[in-house]
This record gives sequence, structure tokens and C-alpha cells, in this order.
Amino acid sequence: MSIALSCEGVCVRYDAVQALENVSLAFESGKIHALLGQNGAGKTTLARFFSGLIKADTGVLAIDGHVVAPGDVAEVRARGLDIVHQRFALPPGFSVADALEFSAAKKKGRAIFSAKAVAKAWGDEMRSAGINASPSAKIGSLPVETVQSLEILRALSGNAIVLILDEPTALLSPSAVSALFDRLRKLRDAGVSLLMILHKLHEVIEIADTVSVLRDGRLVAGPTPISDTSSSELSNQMIGSNVVPSGAVDEAASAVSETPRLVVDTVTTASRKTGEPDLKDASFIVRRSEILGVTGVEGNGQRQLADLLCGFAKPKEGRVTLDGQDLSMVNQAERRRIGIRIVPFDRISEGASLDTPLWENVTTWRAEEFCGTHLPFLSVREMKRQAMDILGNLGVKFKSVDQPAISLSGGNLQRLILARELEDGAALVVAAQPTRGLDFGAAEFVLGCLERLRKKGTAVILMSSDLDEIFEVSDRVIVLCGGRISGEFRPPYDRRLVGDAMVSARR
Amino acid sequence: MNAVGMNILRFGTPVVAAFLLCGLFFAVAGYDVWEAMLGILEGAVTGPGSFRQTLRWSIPMVLIALGFMISFRTGEFNIGGQGQLMLGGLGAVTVGLLVPGPATLILPLAIFAGICAGGLWSAIAGFLKLRYGADEVITTLMLNFIAVGFIQWVTVGPLKDEAVRGETASTKRVDETLRLTGGDGVSPAMLCVAALAILAAWLIAERTPFGLKSRLVGANALAALWQGIPVQRLRLWAYLLAGGFAGLAGALEVLGPNGRLVTNATPTIGFTAIVVSIVGMSNVPGIILAALLFGGLQAAILFLPIVSDLPNSGLRIVEGLIAAIVTARFVHLRRQKRP
Repeated sequence: MSIALSCEGVCVRYDAVQALENVSLAFESGKIHALLGQNGAGKTTLARFFSGLIKADTGVLAIDGHVVAPGDVAEVRARGLDIVHQRFALPPGFSVADALEFSAAKKKGRAIFSAKAVAKAWGDEMRSAGINASPSAKIGSLPVETVQSLEILRALSGNAIVLILDEPTALLSPSAVSALFDRLRKLRDAGVSLLMILHKLHEVIEIADTVSVLRDGRLVAGPTPISDTSSSELSNQMIGSNVVPSGAVDEAASAVSETPRLVVDTVTTASRKTGEPDLKDASFIVRRSEILGVTGVEGNGQRQLADLLCGFAKPKEGRVTLDGQDLSMVNQAERRRIGIRIVPFDRISEGASLDTPLWENVTTWRAEEFCGTHLPFLSVREMKRQAMDILGNLGVKFKSVDQPAISLSGGNLQRLILARELEDGAALVVAAQPTRGLDFGAAEFVLGCLERLRKKGTAVILMSSDLDEIFEVSDRVIVLCGGRISGEFRPPYDRRLVGDAMVSARR
Repeated sequence: MNAVGMNILRFGTPVVAAFLLCGLFFAVAGYDVWEAMLGILEGAVTGPGSFRQTLRWSIPMVLIALGFMISFRTGEFNIGGQGQLMLGGLGAVTVGLLVPGPATLILPLAIFAGICAGGLWSAIAGFLKLRYGADEVITTLMLNFIAVGFIQWVTVGPLKDEAVRGETASTKRVDETLRLTGGDGVSPAMLCVAALAILAAWLIAERTPFGLKSRLVGANALAALWQGIPVQRLRLWAYLLAGGFAGLAGALEVLGPNGRLVTNATPTIGFTAIVVSIVGMSNVPGIILAALLFGGLQAAILFLPIVSDLPNSGLRIVEGLIAAIVTARFVHLRRQKRP
């Protein structure tokens, strides 16, 4: 069996962080290889090294037996290796055909062309790859799984023999994941070697032929044939110590209070945004001391729901009440005062301001409370002191409250946001994708915070597309599909039924 | 290196570089560089009355620059200081000429009218931006032209001073009792008003909920929105305040050195003030320093042709070079920040 892709002694250093340390790997051709590891283990860095996007400090790269100069994307592509990034690279404002034409691995050699010819050429390619979309549709308007298929098509259009996929399942619904896996198996059978970066064990076991595990920039094991390992062994290798597998639901459900805190009564919203479906006839309640899990394929009304609860979107029909108080006339600032808090979807663009010092990030929203009684001016010293306490309470690691938020790692930044939002007085907390992109320990910490809130009597809404975590902490789960609530579940949860509800209203 | 040292470096580098380049230009053009630099120093600081001239020009610059700073921190790029300055002058002169009463009452009223006129002029651009999404760079710039035309119409029409002949039309002079200064533009009263305004700007920007929240809006409006901060309202206030400070500067021009509203009295000061604000790194001490620097250049520009054969356009080059060097870095920052 020949070696499709190999590296020898790769070391990469980013400033103070040793991202990869002396990694040597060889992947056989015609197989699906998985690269497993926690966030920050160095998976993406290794993928970037393979695809020529970064130069290593030391290390040799070979594709199909040929040694390739590291850091040369053009040569790497010429040797037949391409990558599908975690955040897709096709420009969202382009039509499908244009996007493919301009980012295809191999240029078609047309200096002058007509839009029609481009659309036809790529339309044919898409049909033969089984992608069901119009070549003139805008990339941004397509569902993620279609964009991903297009990314793969783009990567293979240059006759790639090695394809790297960075976290390809992160944004997909369960059914789309299995469709993707079918497609990848076909590619393997056609002779393409695949390297997939994954962090979910069950997916690795389902799809991969071999698995390699990275931890803290070092190769822990691999490539190991999948039949020679087990999920508990892999999780040990990934995390470095024994962990209790998730899914151990305690008997918290009985502790849920009967008092409804939030009542959403047949609400239909009228959207300001495009691309997101409005909520339609949505009705649900959240009680005190209850965690309601909200799941669904992304873009099925999750943002509308968060907007509705925070006051950005007004209900066109129906009404929302918190502890019996009608919220229709309550503005955003007022809602925060009565205890509605949100952990926004994207902590970097929405949750915090990266250039702003830590103390401003946590205290600015309630700056009025720091004004003197005689003169209406702020006590900055008091604000910094409180910020120090607030951040300290949740164990945010920082040197000074004056440092900008950009200096925090992802998990620490999420802690900062939690520290700000969950401070005393939270009656209803909406946590939108609070663990996305966090490593295992940081994610557990976030979920632990939500559990603690529940114990204090807060009503919690956890929005997540990660079913494992939804099942782990939720007392009840509702599923959004096309803006409607397509199912409501109680423990014990049936993954298959929930998965069906996620795609039920799709045409 | 510590933060203060870093800031001094950031402030000093473009200034020193601009002077060096300008010296090079003088040398190539055949002037004695040393003499030229001494001339600049004399015009700005050491000559008789020079420093008063520097202060006279620094005052309107610092005020407009502080207004620009407040709106810039909120993320709004309000370059209409020039027009707002002129409207402020109009507000003050209108009250000063038309409202009868004792000076102790009319003087503050005239200043207030100037602040309001400048603020409202700026708020037009704010309204267009917030309601219709019109880019404030375009609207504030265009409003400058409208202001010029408007002031021209006022000075040849309703408030015309019949005694003035020639190209620069102007209004009648306001009563001497309403003047804060003589023609040189510096007096204890004027300095007091300027100091109070600087203090007010510092308090607004650094010690009020508005200042803090607007900084968050400027840094990441989306995050501010999720935290329940009324982003649009703060932005509108930023326009009002920016215009208000420029309007105050305009009112002080009328009630101080000029004594009347003159068309085209200070055609570039509103733009120089933007550079002052940027060179001053959007903080109050930096802006004061930068205003003194540019005020000094302005004073030297007016002084040089009187005493030597050095063309004052040479100093315009210094001004331009500093602006170019600073904005090269700054435009990059602004691009990054805008959503």
C-alpha cells in the first residue's frame, strides 16, 4: 500500500504557543483517516501545514511520495492535495457558478467567458456530483450542507488525490452528516485519500479507517486502524485522563418548579433579517429551575427566538410574558434589568468587544450604577474593582482588568461573558450555542454554570445544535424546524426521534 | 515598553518624520533649513505675541477635535466640523446682533445658540445615517458645502454689513460688551471657557455612562446591542455633541477674535481639527498637545511671509505630511473596526 501523505518532524510555534511538536505521520492512500483531538490540540495547524498555508519551523512534507516545499499552496495543489476549511471559503455574495469558477483548484483556462457558459459548465459538474442547487443561486442563500458539497466539488475539480476536511460535521444536522459520510465513502472507493479532522468520537468510529490522536501539539497515537481501538481508549488519549462519558442524566427533572416563568404564547414574528425563517405559532413555557433545551438545524428560527426574548424582534401575533408581566412594551435595557440575560451566539462578534478592556466588557452595560450620588460621574476605580470580583468569581484567568478581551482564550472569553450575564438577578438566561468551539473542559464548565443557575431557581434556555450536550443537561427539549416547534421531548431522549423532528418540515 | 512611552512614540514619530521631510524639501528648494526651522519656532513660540497666536488657533482646533473624538469613539466618522463651526458662528452672531439685553445674559445665550446650531447641523447627518443609512463621511462633507453657501447668503443678505466692500462679505460687528477677547483672540475669559469645555469633554468621554457606552458601541456595536445598550440613541447624541463642540468653537470665533461672522474666515480649521484628533490618538491630553502643535503651525504660517522669504506653503506641507503619515495607519484601523 502506498503512502498518500506524510510528514516528518513537524514543529510549529505561534508566539508563546507550541502548536505542533515533532509530529511525524504517514497516511496510506485510498483510506479515510481521522485526526482527533481537543480544541487547541493542533489539528487545524497540522491541516494548514499539509495544505501549504503555513510554513513549519522544521519538518518535511511529502505528497504521494514526492517531497514538497512547505508553505507553497500552488505546489501542494499541483501535487493533488486540497482542503475544505472549517469556515467555508466560497464567497457568500457570489453565485454558485462564479464562486466555483474563481476558486476552483484547477483553472479552466478560460480568459474570456460568458456567464452562461460558466453556469452550464459548473451545472454539469454539480449534476454529476449529485448536488441539487441552481448554478445561479447565491452561495450565502444555500443551506450549509449544500455549500459544503460545493466546497468538496471545488476541491476535487483539480483532480485532487488527497482531500483534507477540517471539522466537516460541525455545522450539519445528523441526517446531513450521514449523507456526507456516504459521499466520502464513495470518494474513498474511487481512490481518493481523505483526512478528516473531527472531535466527536462516535463520528470517528463511524467513518474512519484509521485514527490519529493529537494532544497539546504532540502525536499521542496513530495512525491506528479503527478496529484496533475503542472509544474509551480514544477519549483517554484525547483528554489524557479518564473521563466519565456524557449522558449521565441525574434525577434533576423532579426538582423543576411548577411555576411558569417564561410563557411564549402562539407567537409569530415578522423578520427584519433575511435568510432566517420567522417563528410561526410558537408556544412553550419555561419554569423556574428548569433547563429547556432548544435544538434544530441551524437557521431554523433560533436567532428569531433569541431576538424575540431580548426584544429585538416584536411578536406580530401572540405574546410573551415573564413572571406574568407582558413583555411587548418592555425595551431591551429594561428586559436586562428584570433579569433576562443572553449569552449570544458568537462570542467573538456578539458576546464581547475584543479591543475593549476587560473591565469595560463586564461593567459598561450597567454603568449608571457606578455614578456618584452628588455628581453624576462614574467611579472608574469602583468599576474596575467590581470587574475584578465578577471575573474572579468565574475563574477567568487574567493579569489586569485593563488588558483587552482579545488577550483571552476562547474558553476564558466565554467565562467573561458568562460572568457578565449570570451575575445576580438573572431570572431567565438564554444561552445560545454557549459551548461552540470550546474544548471539553471549557464546555463542561459552561454547562456546569447553567446547572448551578437552575439550582438557584433561574429559568434557562439552552440553544445548541450539539445533541449530546442538549440531552446531557436539559429537563425538556423542543426542536425548531422552519420557525415552528416541530417536537417536544422529555428524558429519556431518543436521538432518532429528535433527529426526525429536526428535519420534519423540510421540503 | 510601557503604555505612556508607547503613546509618546506614536504621537512623536509622525511629527518628527514630517518635520524631517519638510526640512528636506526646504533644502532641495534652496532654503536654509536651520533658518527656516528657527522661523517656524519664532512664529509659533518665541516671537513677540507668537504664543498668543498659537493659543488663538489652538482653541478652536481643540474644541472641534474633542467633538470629533466623542463621535469617533462612538464609531461615527463625523468630518463636518467645518460646517458645524460656521453654523455655530451664525447662531452666536444672530443672538448677538438681534436679541437685546444685558451682556451678562446675552453672552451665554449667544454661546448656547452657537452650540445648538452646530449640534443640530451635525444631527442632520446623524439623522440621515441612522434613519436611512446614508454614509456620514459623504453627508457631513456635503453639509460643509451647504454651510458655506448658507453663510455666504446670510452675509450678503439678511445680516449683511453694508459698510464692507470687496470679496469677503461679513455681518455687522457684535457689541463690544459681548466680546470675550480683542482681535488677538486670547484673554483670561476665553481661556476659562476653553478650559471648561475641555473639562466637560473629558468628563463626558471618560466619566459618564454615555462615554463608556459609546466607546463600546464604537468598538463593537453588535455586542453593545446584545447588552441592551440603546445604540442608535447614543449615536445620535454623538452627532449632537460633535456638532455642539464645533458650534462652540464657531461661537467663540465670533465672540472672540473676529467679532462678527466672516465668510471664509477659517476655511481649513475644521479639517485640521480632524487631524488634531487623530494625531492626539482620540484622548483628551493627546488632543490638547496636538492642538498646540497645529495651532503653532497655523500661527507660523501666518507669521512667516511677514518676516522672511520662506513660503508659508512650506508649512502647509508639514501639516499635510503629518496628516498623511498618521492617517496611513489610522485608515487601516478604521477599516478594521467598521462592521
